Amino acid sequence: MKKTATLLATLAVALSTGVSTQAAELRMSWWGGDSRHIATQEALKICGDKYGHTISPEFTGFNGHLEKLTTQLAGGTEADIMQVNWPWLPLFSKNGDGLADLGALSDIIDLSNWTEEQLASGSMKGVLNGLPVSTTGRVFMFNEGSYEAAGVAVPTTWGELLAATPAFKEKLGDEAYPFDATTLDVVLLVSMVTTQATGKDLVDPATNTVAWTAEELAKGIAFYQNLVDTGTIRSWEGAAASGTDNLWEMPEWADGHLAGSYQWDSTYSKYADPITVGHLVPVGILTIDGAVTEGVYRKPSMTFAISKRSKDPQAAAQVLNCLLNEPEGIAAMSDQRGLPSSKAALAELEKLGKIDPTLKAANDIVMAGSGPTVSPYNEDPQVRDTFQSTLEEFAYGQLSAMEAAEIIIDGINGRLAEL
Amino acid sequence: MGGDSKFLGLLYISPYVIGLLVFTAIPFVYSFYLSFTDYPLMTAPVWVGLDNYLELFTSDRTFRKSLSVTLVYVFTTVPLKLVFALFIAVILNYRLKMINFFRTAYYVPSILGGSVAVAVLWRYIFAKAGVVNMALGFFGMDPINWFGDPNYALFIITLLRVWQFGSAMIIFLAALQSVDKSLYESAAIDGANKWQTFRSITLPLITPVIFFNLIMQTVQAFQEFNGPYIITNGTGSPLKSTYLLPLYIYDEAFKKFDMGYASAIAWVMFFIIMVLTLVAFWSSRRWVYYAGDKRS
Repeated sequence: MKKTATLLATLAVALSTGVSTQAAELRMSWWGGDSRHIATQEALKICGDKYGHTISPEFTGFNGHLEKLTTQLAGGTEADIMQVNWPWLPLFSKNGDGLADLGALSDIIDLSNWTEEQLASGSMKGVLNGLPVSTTGRVFMFNEGSYEAAGVAVPTTWGELLAATPAFKEKLGDEAYPFDATTLDVVLLVSMVTTQATGKDLVDPATNTVAWTAEELAKGIAFYQNLVDTGTIRSWEGAAASGTDNLWEMPEWADGHLAGSYQWDSTYSKYADPITVGHLVPVGILTIDGAVTEGVYRKPSMTFAISKRSKDPQAAAQVLNCLLNEPEGIAAMSDQRGLPSSKAALAELEKLGKIDPTLKAANDIVMAGSGPTVSPYNEDPQVRDTFQSTLEEFAYGQLSAMEAAEIIIDGINGRLAEL
Repeated sequence: MGGDSKFLGLLYISPYVIGLLVFTAIPFVYSFYLSFTDYPLMTAPVWVGLDNYLELFTSDRTFRKSLSVTLVYVFTTVPLKLVFALFIAVILNYRLKMINFFRTAYYVPSILGGSVAVAVLWRYIFAKAGVVNMALGFFGMDPINWFGDPNYALFIITLLRVWQFGSAMIIFLAALQSVDKSLYESAAIDGANKWQTFRSITLPLITPVIFFNLIMQTVQAFQEFNGPYIITNGTGSPLKSTYLLPLYIYDEAFKKFDMGYASAIAWVMFFIIMVLTLVAFWSSRRWVYYAGDKRS
């Protein structure tokens, strides 16, 4: 009786998807923390059982995952289903032929759960290579308690933030800062204010060159220096003294002496949880005077892709659809990868009450923000390295803002030409 | 030796020979070929001749910086480590109470020193509010920005390496214990003090071991990766002042996927190590004493 029921269930699933697939042995790889690993393994078991497939999990932390995935893809040993960071898509599938075309599997994967814009962001040369799992972006987060202690309101503009600095120094001491930005955060900060001033992303998609002039970028760099000079943020050198780039690990962050940051919305809890004095609130994007746009940095946080060498792409697509669009998979995956991009997943998680309201509020800010489309080349490793290392030289006084801007633009244009 | 015995002998050594070929010899030769190619890993290598080497020596600012940092690191770390290891070995060569415990205890950092945990610990020790700055404050000194000041950052990496002196120390200790005791007795009869004995008897007799340690430590120092990678999150900060060549090779190969260029850097590093080793061998004729060697 039990066997008959299983057989009928399998037959019903096969008929409902309109595709006949046999039980397959699949592999899926991803990065993440412990809670994501547990949730994903559970979801794979549920989805595997549902369709009669066996899926071997392969998971790691983020560090080293790019290297692992690249080596696997180069050697043809990658998993059938892969979690691929959005900026990695051009590295693995520059012309859309490095990964499976998910558009060709649309009879299995319900693509109507994503907007055209979202699908376009996961496409390379018009070929859908990666399905966005969630959309993320940078938001401002401030420690409301610190601002109350300093006797000033949480800022909504850069002007208000600068004006809050003297109150912080007076009430909380010279080592108190209303905001913090160092290393990568400085890159994104300079990018944001330059985008606000010009209305353009770093990369001009029409010419595949840097969209900003050296003068425009130099103003963005000078803006950062002004934040340092006024004591609004720590200097690059001063921040390095702590021995870690991880703000959430620092006692000054926990006790409210560093009272604000510009971080991914999905990392809100990571930054909010360690705070022992005050509490963290996400706020709208701060803009400069005369801003053309808010310059929101919004992008798919990660995508799910299928190997073009998968022996059973239909089976992989069934599992993928289950993880992203079907109630059983959605419930098991929960919000371990941020707020889902799939409409079905978002509705299901809301129905189940599994969405943190503050995380939702932070994500709403990102989704509502205006700005040009962010090119994945912003996060190309060489582009990032050129931007960040040159800004470091500027911060240590080895370059002027204009010299730094010219070096950054030259270096990034060189890399974009290669890409 | 019969045919069967020969076959058996070859069979016994085959695991090592196969391992050597597959994991060392073939990659070694292949990396030399790759150094003349543009190989972004996702597509086949394309022959570019000497382009990678020309770029390295003519327009790569990062390579020049990384090379100079690496040479400074090697030429400070190796002598410091050898002197420190020899110093501790001499102490541990005395007949003291619980000497075996101390020998083990001093070797422990070598086991732990290269680990991730210790490198992370180093970050906390030298942080702004870390133990070292607290100690400086106790003596009325201003705290030092160990991680942010380019003048100090490399020192931290050097210290981490010097702290792992155990393996060199054990080899020195073995050498010290093999020195013929009758020579010390003769020196004592002649009225030599401890320093004179050490300088004129001990030191010359252990020069082969000093030479061995010099070569090994030099090669290891050039290959240093874990310490700077973990302490600086792989950035070699500040201002690339801790950006040793292995970090640069890793970044080019696995972050920028330029395997050809990374191979070229690796071969330049290999060439430098080879030249320094040959110089060391050449100079050893003048300062290394081998018992029974007619040149001595």
